[in-house]
Amino acid sequence: MSSAVETQAAATVLTPPSRWRGLLRRHATMPVILTVVLLGTYLWVSATNLDDIEQRFLNADYLLRTAGEHVTLAALTTVLVVAIAGGGGILLTRPSLRWLTPFATGLANIGQATPAIGLLVLLSIFLGIDFSTALICLVAYSVLPVLQNTIVGINQVDRHLIEAGRGIGMSPLAVLLRIELPLAVPVILAGVRTALVLAVGVATLATFIDAGGMGALIVTGIKLQRETILVTGAVLTAALALTLDWLGGVISDLLRPRGLD
Amino acid sequence: MSHDVMIDLQQVNKFYRGQKAPVVENMSMTIQQGEIIVLVGPSGCGKTTTMKMINRLIEPSSGRILIDGTDVTALDGNDLRRQIGYVIQQVGLFPHMSVATNVGLVPKMLGWDRKRIEARADELLHLVGLEPAIYRNRLPRQLSGGQQQRVGVARALAADPPVMLMDEPFGATDPMTRDRLQNEFLRLQEQLRKTIVFVTHDFDEAIKMGTRIAVLGERSKIRQFDTPENLLASPADSTVAQFIGRGARLKQLDLRRVDAIAWEDIPLIQPDKAANGAKRQLEQTEGSSALTVDADNRPLRWVNADDLTADAGALDGAAGQTVTTVEPQATLRDALDAMLASRDGAAVVVDEHGRYAGTVTLDGLMQVIHHTPERGAPGSGVPDQRSGVAPAAELTPEQR
Repeated sequence: MSSAVETQAAATVLTPPSRWRGLLRRHATMPVILTVVLLGTYLWVSATNLDDIEQRFLNADYLLRTAGEHVTLAALTTVLVVAIAGGGGILLTRPSLRWLTPFATGLANIGQATPAIGLLVLLSIFLGIDFSTALICLVAYSVLPVLQNTIVGINQVDRHLIEAGRGIGMSPLAVLLRIELPLAVPVILAGVRTALVLAVGVATLATFIDAGGMGALIVTGIKLQRETILVTGAVLTAALALTLDWLGGVISDLLRPRGLD
Repeated sequence: MSHDVMIDLQQVNKFYRGQKAPVVENMSMTIQQGEIIVLVGPSGCGKTTTMKMINRLIEPSSGRILIDGTDVTALDGNDLRRQIGYVIQQVGLFPHMSVATNVGLVPKMLGWDRKRIEARADELLHLVGLEPAIYRNRLPRQLSGGQQQRVGVARALAADPPVMLMDEPFGATDPMTRDRLQNEFLRLQEQLRKTIVFVTHDFDEAIKMGTRIAVLGERSKIRQFDTPENLLASPADSTVAQFIGRGARLKQLDLRRVDAIAWEDIPLIQPDKAANGAKRQLEQTEGSSALTVDADNRPLRWVNADDLTADAGALDGAAGQTVTTVEPQATLRDALDAMLASRDGAAVVVDEHGRYAGTVTLDGLMQVIHHTPERGAPGSGVPDQRSGVAPAAELTPEQR
């Protein structure tokens, strides 16, 4: 059907550039910066004469424990948010439920617009002071970006692709799984990344209701006027947020469907 | 052409809730196996809706649609659609899947094994003119628009469906690519003999592609349903005529071939006579031209009495006017072009070896145009109901 000329011309174009090289180029900076900052902080703390109080906080055991709590909190939040907001977003883009979208995003917006500390205190009054209260607060706080991005991500998939899929006999579920979700992955993951970073930040407040996390360092540092504790807490929290964001970027690049620009 | 009914629309209606007027009203149409039926009409006339009801992307509100005798509503919608090829203007190739994966989607859903799917994808790519070794692992965005639509056609053909629905399939390509895709598709159709419902708003495309054309008005009402020839020769009403647009007669010339009209004979001047016998011969032609030919009877030049050298009455080899030739399969439009290029309004017909076969003249052309067959009863459902001066003028799909 085609001419030989065209075949040859087309044969010379486009071999996609190596995926790994691009990945390395885009994501190499952040680990370097993080290493430098963390190393600098470590050297600064080791060079300082620590008093009793400071020693109680600035030791490997304590730091690892609070960091562990912090990561657990953020990770659980992310899992729950992906399940709730991702699933909800998928449901809200089905033609029969689309009318619910404004209500759902409105609700999610309340969660995010309320000051996190206020939300946390309010919830603790009703739910008591513990880890699960902090988790609920974090989930409520980070649902919106994932929900919104899931909806946007799915809705931005070219309608003609969906029509073509249905037209060749794919079921609605097959269209969702094989076309809509794969093509929405970059946008959805961007939402998850935002949610993760939000969760890490807000998780510092968990210490106010005794739910652990690295917020304890910051709060103690302020209350007892120990600059080293305060700075260490702040730097570690920031480093954790940046690390997770970086990880999210790498994962998002790896999961990005090929064939998109 | 076989006359088995492949698709039968019976009093099909489509209403949408909240709309008073139906989008499609009482549409009935019978489509024979192997036909390309073109639904043509202004935007919003319901032609696409009508087409989508055949594979139930849109459910009909009432009426019956039979494909090969089976009511489409008796089947599961997804199963039904896997048995009907579907091509859309936007192509709809999935950007994150390779060309081969795209083509193999329907066979995969039908549960073919991997080897067979791969072999089928290669076969189809080859069929639509894309070298499988080069293209099978490409992504859609690495293809040109025309190539993408070829893959789109290949995907629709994957499970060898008897029926294909095509919604302005070549509408998004540039005119040159469109022309090529159309020709390629018609050639393909000669082998495949699919039953095709083809939607377009381009009447020229309809003429080119259609075995029969249904001109639709509001609510998918059939204004005229007939062969392209009959439609051009006698539009049913002024709306259809308006839709056909200007140049209906010229468009007719595209549909007919040189071998369909009567050829005339003109005097030939053989090479051995060019020198001395030419004078006598030209005098016999009473002022009109003669054709010089070479030893194999291949036309050389048009000459008349003025071209004789004054003294001897011999023909100078360079005298006269060059000849424009056409082959019997050329369209009458090509013939007209050749006639306009020639001094005497005649085009020389040559056989496949380039040897003189006859001439066609403006007079002959006029005769055909003015004796174009009368219109058959619109929508009568008989595809090749054509009468005409020359039965050979029948333009069967094989000839295109």
